[in-house]
Amino acid sequence: METTLHTRRRFLRTSALGAAAAWTLPVFLEKTFFALDAMAADAPTQAITGKDATILVVLQMAGGNDGLNMVVPYADDIYYRSRPKLALPADKILKLDSYAGLNGKLTGLKSLFDEGHLAVVQGVGYPNPNRSHFRSTEIWQTASDAERNESQGWLGKYFDSCCAGADPTVGVAIGEQMPQAFVAKTPTGVTFSKPEQFRWQPSEKMAGAMSEEEAFFRQLNGIDDQAAAPADGGSINTIAGRNRADQSAFDFLQRTALDAQLSSDKILAIARKYKSTVPYPPGPLAASLSMIARMIAGGLPTRVYYASQGGFDTHAGQLNAHDRLMSGFNDALSAFVADLKQQGNFDRVVLMTFSEFGRRVAENANGGTDHGAAAPMFVLGGRVRPGLFGKHPSLSDLDHGDLKFNTDFRGVYGTILEKWLKAPSEMVLGRKFAGLPLIG
Amino acid sequence: MFDPLPTQSWNYETAAHLLNRAAFGGTPEEVESVRKQGLAATLRHLLDETVEAANIPAPAWAHPENIKEQRMEIRAAKEEGGEAIDKMKEFRRRQGENLLDLRRWWLERLATTPAPLLEKMTLFWHGHFATSAEKVQNGYWMWLQNDTLRRHALGNFVTLTKAMSRDPAMMIYLDLQQSRREHPNENWARELMELFTVGIGNYSENDIRESARAFTGYRVDMTNQQFRFAPRQRDDGAKNFMGKTGDLSGDEIIDILARQPACSKFIARKLWRFFADDEPSPQIVDALAARIRGHNYEIRPVLREMFSSAQFYARGALRSQIKSPVQYLVQTTKLLATDLPAPAVAQNAMRQMGQILFAPPNVKGWDGGKSWVSTSTLLFRYNFANYLINGDAMRPAGDRGKQKGADLGFRRGARMAEIPPRAPLDVARIIPAELRDKPNDLVAHLCQRLFGTPGPEKERTAFIGFLEKRRPDTSDQAMRELLHLMMSTPQFQLT
Repeated sequence: METTLHTRRRFLRTSALGAAAAWTLPVFLEKTFFALDAMAADAPTQAITGKDATILVVLQMAGGNDGLNMVVPYADDIYYRSRPKLALPADKILKLDSYAGLNGKLTGLKSLFDEGHLAVVQGVGYPNPNRSHFRSTEIWQTASDAERNESQGWLGKYFDSCCAGADPTVGVAIGEQMPQAFVAKTPTGVTFSKPEQFRWQPSEKMAGAMSEEEAFFRQLNGIDDQAAAPADGGSINTIAGRNRADQSAFDFLQRTALDAQLSSDKILAIARKYKSTVPYPPGPLAASLSMIARMIAGGLPTRVYYASQGGFDTHAGQLNAHDRLMSGFNDALSAFVADLKQQGNFDRVVLMTFSEFGRRVAENANGGTDHGAAAPMFVLGGRVRPGLFGKHPSLSDLDHGDLKFNTDFRGVYGTILEKWLKAPSEMVLGRKFAGLPLIG
Repeated sequence: MFDPLPTQSWNYETAAHLLNRAAFGGTPEEVESVRKQGLAATLRHLLDETVEAANIPAPAWAHPENIKEQRMEIRAAKEEGGEAIDKMKEFRRRQGENLLDLRRWWLERLATTPAPLLEKMTLFWHGHFATSAEKVQNGYWMWLQNDTLRRHALGNFVTLTKAMSRDPAMMIYLDLQQSRREHPNENWARELMELFTVGIGNYSENDIRESARAFTGYRVDMTNQQFRFAPRQRDDGAKNFMGKTGDLSGDEIIDILARQPACSKFIARKLWRFFADDEPSPQIVDALAARIRGHNYEIRPVLREMFSSAQFYARGALRSQIKSPVQYLVQTTKLLATDLPAPAVAQNAMRQMGQILFAPPNVKGWDGGKSWVSTSTLLFRYNFANYLINGDAMRPAGDRGKQKGADLGFRRGARMAEIPPRAPLDVARIIPAELRDKPNDLVAHLCQRLFGTPGPEKERTAFIGFLEKRRPDTSDQAMRELLHLMMSTPQFQLT
């Protein structure tokens, strides 16, 4: 039943285990392996020729970013009346049009806007907004209606329906925990905060040399280096459906272990090789974006990267706190864009920001704001169509003190899926949402 | 169609299978003792002798408080300004600590209970009636729900469902607390049908609207954190639900749902997936559903028949289940004869492996099976095994913030520095001294212990090869490296 055959393994040959003993390879792995091998071999070539696919970077602003103090309706009296302590003076606003402008800290983003690389989508939300962080985050992450509970993430559905058989690094999240947006039927995507963690760690670290233990671990998870490839060597297409229902749990685990080893090696190699020459500011968001820039430079075959910035739940003392957040956001993004430009990859990348909700129009008694609803999103990149999209929500026509949305966030997702990732958005979002001319 | 397991099929392998699934696995000695005891006696022990488990005391802080008063104090402080932030921070800090302690409490209980099946069923119901502290934000309410799940875990499903409809954590999680006579909230009503009883496709939108009206009047009393019925909030008009009309109560809605054949099938499928096999055949589901109906939703006799059936011990089912993170952690500490990691380490590890107790990802609970495993979680399991075996002894003294052993990627900070260091595993507890320099025997011994089987030849050869290469080094460190290698395999992820 279990036919075994000998095959070769490119990365083992280059590892410390030149003379590995002959291991046999379960038949299910054979085609897979050749496909992965072919893909791994292709990746650097693609990076060099610049023919790689487009890349999406999703940036979560966790906690509910105060959209009104990010894209400020500086020409609206109601804004100043509602926020005696928190309203930003009009002369500090980086004006985008005669009504709205950017928070004064967002100088880098203003330059991008002027250069024609930033789209600001105003008044984004969804029907029946939920004001719980937990639930509203879930709605954004799964792209579900507010009334429905879904477990799979919208990016997970994209991986499932459009990237079957792809390298697990098709999705890379920088952080401690996989975002719900990545949750897929077939677990895909890798999550790490530091590349050193995304690898098998031996009991004892040996400077320079590989320990016995690690050598044997690689051998255990590896494939034989002895014999030749079968004639029908396989192609990427043959590994579609990597988590087939008929695949046993054991086969599935073996497969995942091999995937883990391959992608861990690749990520570590890139992290060691590619260092950015553009200076990044301190802070976790900048560190995450810098890591993403290195992975892009190294040609990781990733379609979607995910990073997040926390601290936006500004119920009290918001003025200084939000300013600091905006500065951190601006400086990290500016460095990231400069880095991508220097690499020549800015045209390959679109970055999209989102937050689970905006905040209430009126400030509260503690110099802060409480959970609200609609808020703006940023979409930026070398091939983004610049400008202000959607209407700025009215400050007088409110829903329980909150801004009403006029663009469904799934319209933005859909646009990016269709126009940027070239994926059928209905398969991912369940239905068609009105798109926006953000990319073109 | 359930056939009893033939007596001659009761052996070491089937005994180990029962312990893996109905409990959290066992050491070879425990498996052997269960084998000797026999299937019926073991099931009596697992299913009936569950009283003493109640002796594990509740956490000291797990008692009701007057939330209303606390909220009023915070509000009053807010109006005075300044101090409110401190009060709120203090309140949140305490909730965070309680939750960490609650997770410690349950993990300890899971690892040491004399009634493991009771705990495993409690875990099953936690995933079924999934409720997250992320929204409930209160340790007592989460503890109370856990206690209610445990009290009914092996009892009657219909009674348990009714108890959940009155459970404060559930009521807050699914907004039943906010349901008013004029505006019945449909969240609980929808999930009651979609996820807790009959499953999608077996009810109409009208059923949701009508049943939501039947659950009006359910309230959480904020002065004592308990359920209270508010008759004036109740909609006492006629409801039309699944063909029945009248002033139906919430309990009557649940009774009607339980009578639907879809309900017994829904529970049957979930039970079989959790305990036996990820992909049950329709025949198995129908057979188990018939037994559930036959026993009027009494869970204890259903489990007894399930664990006594030949189908449960089918060849393909043995050692084919991917361990859940809870199973991984509890079973591993048993097999290594070691302690659970410190609560904060355990909490972070569970987060990274994808199963945070008291915080399932959403109301659907955990998908289980292959969804536990991705490249990231698998590598994490391997590195976590490193930590469990080697501890952080390599963390240099005087620099507690820096780990030199496995880097598990935990958030650094004041809290991490307070975590006691973990000593390396005492290998003498599981490796007899006389086996240390006998690679073949040692590997056979450990394969039996860790995998419950001699294991695939490829792996066995590799482990022996490792020991040969290390010769003449048979130090504790060499033994630990062998253990880490053995746990860094697909085989170890299965149970």
